[in-house]
Amino acid sequence: MNVFRDAVAAEWMKVRTLRSTWAFLAGGVATTALGALILFSLVQSYDAATPADRANFETADPTVVTMPFVMFFIGAIGAMLITSEYTTRSIGPALLAVPQRRLLLGAKATVAGLVGLGCGALFALLAFADARLVLGDRPKPINPWPQWTGAIPTILCAALIVLVTCLVAMGLGAIVRSTAAALTTLGALVLVAPIFAHFLPTVWQLRLASILLPNLTPQLAGSDHPYLLSQGGAAAVTAAYVLIALTAGAVSFSRRDA
Amino acid sequence: MGSMIELKELTKRYGDTTAVDRLSFEVRPGVVTGFLGPNGAGKSTTMRMMLGLHRPTAGVALIGGRRYDEIRHPLHEVGAVLDADAAHPGRSAFTHLACLARSNGIGKARVNAVLDQVGLAAVAHKRVGGFSLGMRQRLGIAGALLGDPAVVLLDEPVNGLDAAGIRWIRSTLRSLAAEGRTVLLSSHLMSEMAVTVDRVLIIGKGRLIEDTSVAEMRDRFERDVLVRTPRTAELTGVLTRLGATVTRTGDGDLVTVGVDAPAIGDAAAAASIPVHGLTPRSATLEDVYLEMTNEAAEYRAVAEGDRR
Ligand SMILES: Nc1ncnc2c1ncn2[C@@H]1O[C@H](COP(=O)(O)OP(=O)(O)OP(=O)(O)O)[C@@H](O)[C@H]1O
Ligand SMILES: [Mg+2]
Repeated sequence: MNVFRDAVAAEWMKVRTLRSTWAFLAGGVATTALGALILFSLVQSYDAATPADRANFETADPTVVTMPFVMFFIGAIGAMLITSEYTTRSIGPALLAVPQRRLLLGAKATVAGLVGLGCGALFALLAFADARLVLGDRPKPINPWPQWTGAIPTILCAALIVLVTCLVAMGLGAIVRSTAAALTTLGALVLVAPIFAHFLPTVWQLRLASILLPNLTPQLAGSDHPYLLSQGGAAAVTAAYVLIALTAGAVSFSRRDA
Repeated sequence: MGSMIELKELTKRYGDTTAVDRLSFEVRPGVVTGFLGPNGAGKSTTMRMMLGLHRPTAGVALIGGRRYDEIRHPLHEVGAVLDADAAHPGRSAFTHLACLARSNGIGKARVNAVLDQVGLAAVAHKRVGGFSLGMRQRLGIAGALLGDPAVVLLDEPVNGLDAAGIRWIRSTLRSLAAEGRTVLLSSHLMSEMAVTVDRVLIIGKGRLIEDTSVAEMRDRFERDVLVRTPRTAELTGVLTRLGATVTRTGDGDLVTVGVDAPAIGDAAAAASIPVHGLTPRSATLEDVYLEMTNEAAEYRAVAEGDRR
């Protein structure tokens, strides 16, 4: 009798049978398609430009554009693992079936992690495939990866950051219990905060931007980026996100009455 | 096969309201036990603490000697319905149960069997959101029966059910108890309990008022006879000699306890005392219950009035 394995299997079944899961996945697909479109038009204007202008083109790394949205959509799936149960009161039967709160949260975190890693890898690969198809063997600076092997660290780190976002969102869900509040906070964290950072004084702008989830990807991968953290520093910040979200989520989930 | 439920000094406070106050009792297997009390008496809070959903402020609730959250795969031992609306409206009845079943290592065949047992087989793959209250109650009970548990706990299971649904729940619960299971169901109405339960636990203001059997409760009724006669003093003497306790009402009628109506009529005839009225009165279970919980209910009404 393996209580944890059964709880994970049940959570997996729950996430598959939620309509919102598929809606958020569709959101990720739409984002990727939109990203491809933008990249395509960018390459057209690149091809029309003079060689001098071409050298001034910014790097067309599709992960920079699409991944924050992917993080939001896939993170939403992680948050809904918990908030959908509170908002529909099915948390009652869920806890009757698995009354050990830490174990239940652990099972949900496992599924959130699997969904985050799987979907993160999928969408990062899709963005990369996009780039290869559209950019072909055009040189730097527009092409971030004239050699496809150069993309490997970015893809891996982008997938990892989606996983981390999914866990953070699940922890948020355990704390706020409401879908609306969890998704608003998640959106603020991955979509709004990076824009907001631009309005801070320059010194603070970089400091804040360096610790924001979407910006951790290039810092972890060690690719070209304007931020402040070393690869090790980025890894520490990433670990801190997971630790804080899961600890706060677990405390809230196990202390409060359902 | 059933296990005992034991509460020891179970207490729950929300701020300065004490919802459950040092509640101790046992629920035995093989019978249907009713958990009665007026609205706000603390029934739901008590059941939620028994099942680990709410944390007690003090005391413990044990099922088969263990706290609920110490049981691994608890659906095999305890089945409960606390809330008819506790299924995701977007899932089908089948997937809702299949998710619960999977977490306790229960197979899909058993899911279909319980859906069949509660009469939902035909709508198994329809979304729960479209279900009527009666269907959702049945779905809840199907969930409680998934693991073939020895203990069944239901909070207000007949709320909002039609006559056929109530009859169905009654017979289901009685047959579960007859199989030796421990069955506890709560209600705020005595009338719906009287025909379903064998034992009753009555609480008010979070405290235990009565722990008794329905038969005992019936026997404890004050059965009296209202007698109207123009010669009250003489008849009082006759009836007192028969061993009755006689009191007078404000209207000059006699209230007699201890002898039944035919005996009173015979005694009056033998003494040639005319009798103008002879009315046997017996309190209903509902009356007795209301009397028992009256104090608690009144207190609550006053307390709520004060707060406004
Ligand atoms: N989460 C909560 N916070 C504060 N007070 C609460 C909470 N839950 C219940 N109470 C209070 O505890 C008391 C007992 O409530 P409970 O729901 O257990 O009663 P009940 O016997 O189930 O009533 P009913 O017959 O209406 O279902 C009530 O006074 C209620 O207001
Ligand atoms: Mg209640």
